[in-house]
Amino acid sequence: MTDLQQEVTNLIYQEATLLDRHHWDEWIDLYTEDAVYWVPSWANEEETTDNPEMNLNLIYLRNRGGLEDRVFRIESRDSYASVPLDRTVHVVGNVLTGNEKAGEVEATANCIIHSYGKKGGLTRASLYDFKLRREDGELKISQKKITFIDDRLEGPIDVYHL
Amino acid sequence: MDGSILTDNLSTLVDDRVDEGMFRVDRSVYIDESIFEQEISNIFEKCWIFLCHESQVANHGDYFWTEIGRQPVFVHRQEDGSLKCFINACSHRAAILTPFRQGNAKTLTCRFHGWTYKCSGNCVGIKNEEDGTDRSRFDLREIASLASYQGFIFGSLSADVPALDDWLGAAKIWIDLMAVQSPEGLEVVPGSSTYKTDGNWKLQAENSVDGYHVSTVHRVFAHTIAARESKGEYTGIGKTESGRISGGVPTASYDLGNGHMAIWAQHTTPEARPIWEARERLKNELPPKQVEWILTKGRNLYIFPNVMLMDNPSTQIRVMKPISANQVDISVYCVAPKGESTKARAGRLRKFEDFYLTAGMATSDDLAALEDTHEGSMARSAKWSEFNRGLKSITHGADADARELGFEPQACTDNWNHEVLYHGFYRHWLRMMKGEFQG
Ligand SMILES: [Fe+2]
Repeated sequence: MTDLQQEVTNLIYQEATLLDRHHWDEWIDLYTEDAVYWVPSWANEEETTDNPEMNLNLIYLRNRGGLEDRVFRIESRDSYASVPLDRTVHVVGNVLTGNEKAGEVEATANCIIHSYGKKGGLTRASLYDFKLRREDGELKISQKKITFIDDRLEGPIDVYHL
Repeated sequence: MDGSILTDNLSTLVDDRVDEGMFRVDRSVYIDESIFEQEISNIFEKCWIFLCHESQVANHGDYFWTEIGRQPVFVHRQEDGSLKCFINACSHRAAILTPFRQGNAKTLTCRFHGWTYKCSGNCVGIKNEEDGTDRSRFDLREIASLASYQGFIFGSLSADVPALDDWLGAAKIWIDLMAVQSPEGLEVVPGSSTYKTDGNWKLQAENSVDGYHVSTVHRVFAHTIAARESKGEYTGIGKTESGRISGGVPTASYDLGNGHMAIWAQHTTPEARPIWEARERLKNELPPKQVEWILTKGRNLYIFPNVMLMDNPSTQIRVMKPISANQVDISVYCVAPKGESTKARAGRLRKFEDFYLTAGMATSDDLAALEDTHEGSMARSAKWSEFNRGLKSITHGADADARELGFEPQACTDNWNHEVLYHGFYRHWLRMMKGEFQG
């Protein structure tokens, strides 16, 4: 594994760990200020929507402020869907890293997410498409696209279920 | 559970003594599977059921697969531009005929044994056909009734339904307020979401016009948006309104008859709504009262039994598919005026995503509350849910706002915290369950 592959893989692992352990502020810190967080909806059985501005998404946050909204709501302890908070375990694999060009790297990964809450245990899966950017020497997430493969969704879905 | 509810006993489920100050519903209506079976046969298979929006079947051959109650059907756009709706099952061995929920096929060939049907439903091909087969016996089964109102397509398995216009009645103008927003009509935006809900379909019906929960369940949404705004983010049309949710604005609730219900609440920042850009055009095209309602009142409309139309910060079609007493599937679509600016469309979608989805920051909380309500209803030791708030404020017939806009509700109150609109819902529910509603 090259140093870059190691660095990218660690970053992706770290994100999963921070979510599962509820270190929300550190999780947000992995993202650039202008980061896009995008979960398209399914346009039909085989394709997701591909124009986030003009089509319906499950989540489309256009900067880090959108992630802060989510964390604000979780931490408020006033969200019906988030109290009690579901337990989650993300298992990330298949991390593939592109080459770094002008401080930017693309990577893909798969994730199996097991959660436990009022509905009992649920296992779901996502495809991740990352764009990473080097800021002050450190790689940060500038875009994360999550293709959540479930369609008939069970229960509330938040950033820690994806 | 204490066994099945006989038709004779249905009346005991709705304790309707408004003159004595009491309207309550036995919570077994949410959890009893025998009641649910009767709802399928007496309501969902007898009523007008919302099927889809015309933009979802715009062109010749476009089909849309949905359900009436639990029966699969598909709407199919004909060569002459008309619509037909068929039972979605091959006449031979019942395989579903449409490979996708939505698609285009000018003829449909069953993927099981290869029988072929024209758009018209005529059986035109039988693989290895035997001599003397009368194909016309195998034409697809059309549903008994199909009609559209302002682009919203409804169907019924019963031929014995009132005319759709009469059925919608006082709800019609509420649909108009959405449909007239563009001279080109409305369109469903690409993308949708379906979520499985562990709760009874009537709890979703109640929730969709429940103003009372907003300032508790959605308080966190209002706070989240306030925190967002304090950082100077998402201004102008990018803003998601929270004023309506925080309370203290004029509101009203309506029993529209035939089980239909509606509420509105005044917008505090109408200029952030996507329709605001069209205000001058609307003023030229429509009566002033309609324009005022479109621009300044956030509206939730529930049409008995399976569809809700929301025109709040964003615009939504919400469709229910009952699965069992304990489960309902909900599909949501963003519906928007054709021809709006890309800025307005993007704003509409972002507001939709903020609030409405099970991955959003409000509908997810509704869903959790609904599922808890369902679970609590299992407690047979406490069997009644009361719907008495607002009893002293009932206006029978139209209030001033309704009169000015031009609709005649059964009853209304001047506060969306009130619960008396549900009386109309449960009275109609009971009439249909007892087989007393003949249109
Ligand atoms: Fe709500």
